[in-house]
Amino acid sequence: MRTTRYAPTTCARAWLSLALATSLGLTPTAHAAEDDKARITELEQKLDESLKMIRELSNKVEALEAREAQRTSAAGAAAAGTAAAAGTAAAAATASAAVPPGPANPTPTAPVGAATPGAPPVVGPPAPADTGARLTHLEETVSQMANAPQRAEDRGMAMHGFADVGAGTHNAQFPKYQGADIAELDFFLTPQLGARTRALFELNFEVGADGEVGVDLERAQIGYQFSDSATIWLGRFHTPYGYYNTAFHHGQWIAISLRRTRFLEFEDHGGTMPAHTVGLWLTGSQRLGEQRLTYDAWIGNSQRITGGTIDMNNAGVTAGSTMFGGNIGLLMSGVLDGLKVGLDAFQTRIENQDVAPSQFTQVQSYGAYVVYDTDRWEDIAEWHFFDNTDLTGHTGTHHSDAGFVQIGYRGGRFTPYGRYERGSFNQSDPYFAAQTSGNSYDREALGVRFDIDLSSALKMEFAETRYTDRYLTRYGEALLQYAIRF
Amino acid sequence: MSRIAPKLLLATALFAGGAAVRAADLYIICNSQISLDQAGVRELFLGEKQFVGALKLVPVDNSAAQSLFLGRVLNMSAERYSVAWVKKSFRDGINPPGVVGSDAEALASVRRIPGACSYVTTPPATGVAVIGRL
Repeated sequence: MRTTRYAPTTCARAWLSLALATSLGLTPTAHAAEDDKARITELEQKLDESLKMIRELSNKVEALEAREAQRTSAAGAAAAGTAAAAGTAAAAATASAAVPPGPANPTPTAPVGAATPGAPPVVGPPAPADTGARLTHLEETVSQMANAPQRAEDRGMAMHGFADVGAGTHNAQFPKYQGADIAELDFFLTPQLGARTRALFELNFEVGADGEVGVDLERAQIGYQFSDSATIWLGRFHTPYGYYNTAFHHGQWIAISLRRTRFLEFEDHGGTMPAHTVGLWLTGSQRLGEQRLTYDAWIGNSQRITGGTIDMNNAGVTAGSTMFGGNIGLLMSGVLDGLKVGLDAFQTRIENQDVAPSQFTQVQSYGAYVVYDTDRWEDIAEWHFFDNTDLTGHTGTHHSDAGFVQIGYRGGRFTPYGRYERGSFNQSDPYFAAQTSGNSYDREALGVRFDIDLSSALKMEFAETRYTDRYLTRYGEALLQYAIRF
Repeated sequence: MSRIAPKLLLATALFAGGAAVRAADLYIICNSQISLDQAGVRELFLGEKQFVGALKLVPVDNSAAQSLFLGRVLNMSAERYSVAWVKKSFRDGINPPGVVGSDAEALASVRRIPGACSYVTTPPATGVAVIGRL
């Protein structure tokens, strides 16, 4: 039942002022622990803005009151004329004005003041429904004024970015260098193209093994979302094996650790797995009771090896080979909230173009992963096994494996972490033998991430790496990284 | 003295505001009547759920009630929520929810945008569907 809930417009002004004051009080509460002086300055600015807003609203209310007065005056004059002509009609109209709107009388009746010609009209309180509409309009006006730069539907194309620089006894990716280094500047675009069409582009400026800055379109994918359970992408994407390769991308700020594991590095940074695929990727998730099942299935161009490095064949393949694979995971909830387990597999045929004629290897990989990601912990274990068949030299099938275990604990702004990683690559396998970084190794690392604020982090890592077959050497590293997002 | 008075006023408002948030009910509101349980609301605001049938959902964060919402529904800190969206956006190419600064703005956004859902601490008036109260 609709009742008279709204006070007169003078009270409405007070109500709005109170609402603004309350919102002013509520807004900064979540951040009150930050620097007091900056907060007080900011709050004072907000107070000034709010006072300005209140003044503007007051002006609007006064303008509305003036319009209402004019309208009432005109109505009163008309009613007076009617009363003069029809005697008792004015009394009936006055009586009807006292009836509050309700189901039996849903239309608010304009108050009639003086039935006597020449007397000033008496403007009564506006009818509740009318006032409610005005308040709704004013709320929207406040919203538009206060929040115009970030209205939800007006964001247009969002661009984000990451960057990091560092220093150390070795370069974190290319150990032959030492001293200070710039690593990458990564731009990330997610234009909103409609309810179901999605796009994702990642343009990365990075320093390569030759010490020069290069530009790479790390990801360029356009997708169509059929439902929550299925999105199909076409383009260049991160090959969805394991967990790490799709959870963490080029922006190092996003990761707790200072760098990716060596075997999961990107191809041009010494990675030994095909980190990118150009092709078609179907991905989605489905609730299974309280848990959530995630899946990925993909098919794309097979990779090649050129210059000792894996290349993902951006323009297409010449030898007509494909890569395909799948990944299935289960995301837990309840007491196991944050836990994810999964399995993956893929197969591809790699052409080594560094020898003539080209050599071909059929790469088959199977992987498993366990992740525990909560407010406090980020623990990841991931392992991959390879059964690669030499299709050219007919040396048979070669077994290799690589994996890592990482434990990170978020203790406020400090996140210490430790990681052990290992790559045991059969050097008789032409796939690993052809890669510059295809030697076996193991590495232990201890580090700490310090979050300076929500957008920048300083990381330190001490690591020791041992090469165990092609080269027999070891080296220690002390690394520093300053990583940001924007 | 002239600078102390506003600070005291602000401190009082902050204290009162904080107390109000802690004691308040939380209303999950949507542009139209849709069926979402608490897990569904959680998935909506974490980017896992984007459709109900053919309707595209548009989550809208209300910073005035966000700490309450994160604690009661998502069970995560503001920092983790932010990082979760950075990761989600980076992986899946979807943008985090838009942000409004008050219940009134949340109501206005939800009324205006088809498929929009948000949360408020004051009992909402007409024009939105309350799909949950926590």
